This record gives sequence, C-alpha cells and structure tokens, in this order.
Amino acid sequence: MSEEKKLTEKESLQLIADMIKKAKGSYHDTGIGSLLWGSVVGIASFMTYLQSIYKFSIGFDIWLIVVAAIIPQIWISVQEKKQTRAKQYDDDTVDAVWLVFGICIFSLSFYQMVIPDATIRLMQGQGVELIKRYTDGSKPDEALRPFAPSFYSIYLLLYAFPTLVTGIVKKFRPMTLGALLTYVLFVISCFTPANQDMLLGGIAAIVCWFIPGIILRRKYLAGRAAANV
Amino acid sequence: MFKELDPILHSQLRLAVMSLLIGVKEADFTFIREKTNATAGNLSVQVQKLRDAGYIEVVKQFKDNYPQTTCKITPKGIQAFEEYVKALQEYLKTG
Repeated sequence: MSEEKKLTEKESLQLIADMIKKAKGSYHDTGIGSLLWGSVVGIASFMTYLQSIYKFSIGFDIWLIVVAAIIPQIWISVQEKKQTRAKQYDDDTVDAVWLVFGICIFSLSFYQMVIPDATIRLMQGQGVELIKRYTDGSKPDEALRPFAPSFYSIYLLLYAFPTLVTGIVKKFRPMTLGALLTYVLFVISCFTPANQDMLLGGIAAIVCWFIPGIILRRKYLAGRAAANV
Repeated sequence: MFKELDPILHSQLRLAVMSLLIGVKEADFTFIREKTNATAGNLSVQVQKLRDAGYIEVVKQFKDNYPQTTCKITPKGIQAFEEYVKALQEYLKTG
C-alpha cells in the first residue's frame, strides 16, 4: 500500500470498509483456555456422575482438578496477553465477565461447603434439627443434614452466563448456541436427580467450552499457518 | 459547496491506518503493517504524520526486551475521521 496514491471518493469508502472489516476479524482467541475448562469441568462432572451410578470411588475429590486448572490458566492468560497485537474495545468487558464468573463459581463452592454446617449450628442454637421421615414407615426417622436440593442446576446457570455474553459480544455462534443449550439443560436439571445433574453439567462443559474451544483452536492455527505462508 | 477532504486522511496508507485504528482500542505497529501490507519505513513515516496531526497516539516501550510500538486513535482523530467520512458521503450523494 502506498502513501501517495490518491483515491477516488468511492475507493476511499471501500478502503475504510475493508480495513474496519480486517480490524474486526482480528479477534483470535487461541482456544486453549476454552479447551482446558471444557476438559476439566467435563471430566469432573462425568466422573462424579459415574462414581454415583456405579458406586465406586477414585480416592480423591475429582473437583480438585478444577482448582488445579487455575495455574495453567494464569500461564495461558499471560502468554495470550503477550501475543495480542490489537486490542478490541470489548476485550476488557469480556475479560471482566470471565473474572466475575470465576469469583462466583469459587464463592458458590465455598457456600456449598460452609452452609450445611453453619445451618446445623444455627438450628442447634435454636434447639431444632431437621428430620428425615420415611412416609411408608419402612425405616425409623433419622437426622437430616441440611443441603440445597439440585444444587448443580445453579452451576449450569452460571456456566451459561459468561458463555452467552462472550458469544453475543464476539459474535461467536458456537458459544451462543452452547450457552442456549445449557439453559435448556438447566431446565431439565430442575426435574432430574442430583447425580444426573452431573451428567447434564458434563454435557454443558462440552457444548459451552470444549466444542467452541476446538473451533477457536482450528481457526487460530489456520490463521497462523496463513500468516506464515 | 463541497467541504474539502482532509488532506491528512485523503491518502491511501494514512486512511488505511486510521480505518484500522477506529475499529480497535489499540494496535501494534506490526499488526498495522501486516493488515496494510505496507513497508515498515513507509508506514513509520505515515504514522509520524498522523501523530503530528494529533490524530493518533504512539507509545513506544520495551516488552520482553523487544521494542514495541502501540498506536491508538485520539478523540481528535475520531472527529476528523467522522468528518472525512461525512464529506465523502456528500461527494458521493451529489456525484
């Protein structure tokens, strides 16, 4: 492209349109982050489901892999920041949404761990306890540990939220569709037992992050190959 | 009476740089060079002209021991660009 070439009005407008299109098309996530979270949340959900169905234990809490995934995610984020050559106006917004999502997920896990014992203590202070009663009288009444029924449904709602925002803002249809499908899974999970919710959660991880991650990765690698030609 | 087209913007490479920068928050020199297919020397001169006009902001820094030049459009640049596009549309309407 030369500096001195004088353009007609039509050529100028065409050049502006072309360049704006090029700038807009410069969004390229490497896809690694999506693949990572799609894998770990998918594996953890499916494994939890299998353990509850086939009554076996792998000997440790599989959800620890989700906590462990934070370390590679930090490394991925730093590397991606270094490679970024053009920053879009909405990049900061999307990053903020995912940061808030991370805080919400870990806060919700904390809530889930702390609330049952805190509820027991509060109820003991009031001199009451929850009792499980078998309506057919087959077993005697027993103390019931407080819990939030179908809790994984809340996680499904959370999984869909940042995914839908990213899909809409970045006009990335696979994420939009994945998020919409996850809202459907959320509705289904309201009517299924807790262990089956885990299966739905695994599917949500696949459609929200793993499949879009594969698509992003392919696009990214194709773009890099084209740039190196 | 036609409004005169801004001579700073009415050149192929400078207009391409401004059109790129209007669509992003900021961009590396290498990104602009790749998208415009310009030579580093020519692009450097045109970027300097846009900077002198106050249309873009240029930040030079070191990132991982390598020099990095980042360009960002300024409010004055956005205004000039919008006026340029309006003027172009006027020409085309009557042309």
